[in-house]
Amino acid sequence: MFFHIVLERNMQLHPRHFGRNLRENLVSKLMKDVEGTCSGRHGFVVAITGIENVGKGLIRDGTGFVTFPVKYQCVVFRPFKGEVLEAVVTMVNKMGFFAEAGPVQIFVSNHLIPDDMEFQSGDMPNYTTSDGSVKIQKDSEVRLKIIGTRVDATEIFCIGTIKDDFLGVINDPTTA
Amino acid sequence: MSIEPFNRLVKLAARAFYDDVTTKGDNQPKTGRGDNRGIAVVVLDALTRRQWVREEDLAKELKLHSKQLRRTLRLFEEEKLVTRDHRRETAKGAKIYSAAVAATVDVQHGGKEGEEKIKLHTHSYCCLDYAQIYDVVRYRLHRMKKKLKDELEDKNTVQEYVCPNCGKRYNALDALRLVSLEDEYFHCERCNGELVAESDKLVAQDVGDGDDNARRRRREKLKDMLQKMEVQLKPLMEQLSRVKDLPVPEFGSLQAWEARASAAGRAINGDSGSNDLSRSSQGYGGTPMPFLGETKLLGPAWQVEVAFSGLDGKEEDAKSESAGTSLKVLPPWMIKQGMNLTKEQRGEVKQESKTDGTSAQPDFSDDKKSTIGTDDKKNLQDEYLKAYYAALYKKQQELEEAAKKQEELSDIPLSSSHSDPSKRQVGMKVKRDDDEGDDDIDWEEAPLAGNTTESYKVNDLNVEAEASGDDEDDVDWEEG
Repeated sequence: MFFHIVLERNMQLHPRHFGRNLRENLVSKLMKDVEGTCSGRHGFVVAITGIENVGKGLIRDGTGFVTFPVKYQCVVFRPFKGEVLEAVVTMVNKMGFFAEAGPVQIFVSNHLIPDDMEFQSGDMPNYTTSDGSVKIQKDSEVRLKIIGTRVDATEIFCIGTIKDDFLGVINDPTTA
Repeated sequence: MSIEPFNRLVKLAARAFYDDVTTKGDNQPKTGRGDNRGIAVVVLDALTRRQWVREEDLAKELKLHSKQLRRTLRLFEEEKLVTRDHRRETAKGAKIYSAAVAATVDVQHGGKEGEEKIKLHTHSYCCLDYAQIYDVVRYRLHRMKKKLKDELEDKNTVQEYVCPNCGKRYNALDALRLVSLEDEYFHCERCNGELVAESDKLVAQDVGDGDDNARRRRREKLKDMLQKMEVQLKPLMEQLSRVKDLPVPEFGSLQAWEARASAAGRAINGDSGSNDLSRSSQGYGGTPMPFLGETKLLGPAWQVEVAFSGLDGKEEDAKSESAGTSLKVLPPWMIKQGMNLTKEQRGEVKQESKTDGTSAQPDFSDDKKSTIGTDDKKNLQDEYLKAYYAALYKKQQELEEAAKKQEELSDIPLSSSHSDPSKRQVGMKVKRDDDEGDDDIDWEEAPLAGNTTESYKVNDLNVEAEASGDDEDDVDWEEG
C-alpha cells in the first residue's frame, strides 16, 4: 500500500554547497540519500514530493559541516499481509517463483500455486497447467496476495499466494 | 476461591489430551505389562485432590514406582501443567512439609517415612499450576483449530523447509537467502544441503496429488476432523468458559504454601472448612478433624499416622500390619480416643475423596442425615452389624477382585472403597476389645465404604448413587 507521509531527516551538508543554491543542493542530496531506501517502519521510500521545512542549520565543530533538520513529504510503499499486488516474475524454480512488485521481492512457494499447475524444468523453467493454457515463467505478470511479510530494519520480504480466486497470470509475455 | 471447576478442567483436559500418552524410556520394549497408558490421567486426577505433594508420597499412594511417576510428572512439567520444586532437606524439613499437609484439608496424606530419616535427601514436590493449565489448554485448543483450519483453507500457511542433514528449519520468508545459483533448489545456509519442504500435513497426501478427487477427499477428511474435534472437546471448552471469570486457585511456591498451610490450616479451603465446622457441631460433636481448629491441640503427628494406615490399607494384608503399627505408636491412655479418631478420620478421608469428584454440597448433607439417623437406630444396628459383619467381609473379598479391574478407570473412588472396608475390619476388632459404644460411628462408615461397588447393601443410597453417578460421568465423557 502507498502512503503519502511526512518524514524528517537530519541532513549534513558540506561547506562547499553553501551559497545561493544551498537549498537546491540540500534537496537533491536528500533525494539521493532517501529515495529507494527501505525502513522497516515506513516501508520503501518511493519518491520525495516536497519539502515541508528546513530547520536551522548547526555548524559542526571541526568539520565545518552543517546539519539541517529537514521535513519532507514522500510517497512510501509498505506491503501488508492480505494485500493483493501485481508483480513481475523474476525467477522460477522447483520450489516456487520469485516476483517483484516495485522494490518488494515476493516469493510464492509451489504449494501456494494452484494444484493444477505443474513445474516444467528446462531452458525456461515455468509452471504450466495441464492443458498448457496458462504459463508462469520469467517476466510473466501475476496478481498475487501477500500472506506473510518479514520486515527487518532495512528490508522487507514477502511471501504470496496465487491459489485464490482472481489471482494468477494477468499478462503472459509469450502470447502478447 | 473455588477449586472445583478448575479440578474439573484438569480432569477433562487429562482425558482429552493425555489419555493414551505413554511415558516410557526409549530403550524399553513395549510389552503388555509395561504399557502404562492412562497413568497420566490417574496422576493428574490424584493431583487435583492435593496441593503441594511430595512425589515419593504420591507414588506410594498411587502404588506407582516413583521412577514411573517422576517420568509422568516430568512430562507434565514440560507441558506446563505442574510446577515442581526440588530441595535437599533433612528430616526436619520433611516435617515442616508434613505439618503443612496435616493442616490442609484435601490432602489425605501420610508423610511418615521421611520423618524418620536423618540423612539429607533431595525431595521433589509437585503441584498443579491452575493458572497456567488454563492458558495451556486454551492455547492447545487454539493451535489445534488453527492447524486444521489452515490446512483446510490451504492458503494461509507459510511453507516450512527443513535441512535433512543438520535439521535446521527455515520457512518461506527465508526463501531469498536460500536460493542458490547452481540449481533450482534451496540450500541450507549452514551445511549447503538441499532443503526439503516439510509436509506437516495432517492428512497424508495421496499419490495422485493433482487429482481433484483426492483433494476433495482430503478436504472432507479435514472438515470431518474439525467437526469431530468441536464435538469431542465441547465439554472442555465449556469448562474453559465457565472457569474464565473465576479467580484462579494459587498455591504459590512450595515454601510459601507450607508457611501458609501450617499457619492457617483451613485457610486454603475456606468454604469446605466452614462446612466442616457446621457439620461437626451437629453430627460429630467434638470429633477431631485434621483441619479443624480444635484438633490442632492434638498435634498433627499422629493424625498423619492414622491417615497413613487408612490410605495404605488397600490390601488386606498390608493393612492389618500397618494398623497394628499405628496402634503401637499410641500411648495406652490414648488408645480409646485414638480408636475413635481413626474411624472418624477414616470417614472424613473417604468423604473428602468423594466430594472432590462432584459438587460438595449433596454429599455433605447426606452425610449429616446418616449421622443423625444412626443415633436413633444405634442399638438395632449394633446387633445388625455383628451378624452382618461376617457376610460382608466375604463379599468384600469377592468385590476386591472385581474392583481391581476398575482401578484404572478411577483411582480414588476405588481405593477409598477398598481401603475402608478392610480398615474398618481391623478397626472393628480392636474396638470391640475396648469399646462397643463406638459402633454407631463405625457402622456409619461401613455403608459408605462398601458402597462404591455394592449399593444395595447399604441404607443410604443417596451417597452411593451420587458417587457412582460421578464415575459414570467421567467414563461417559471419555467414550463420547
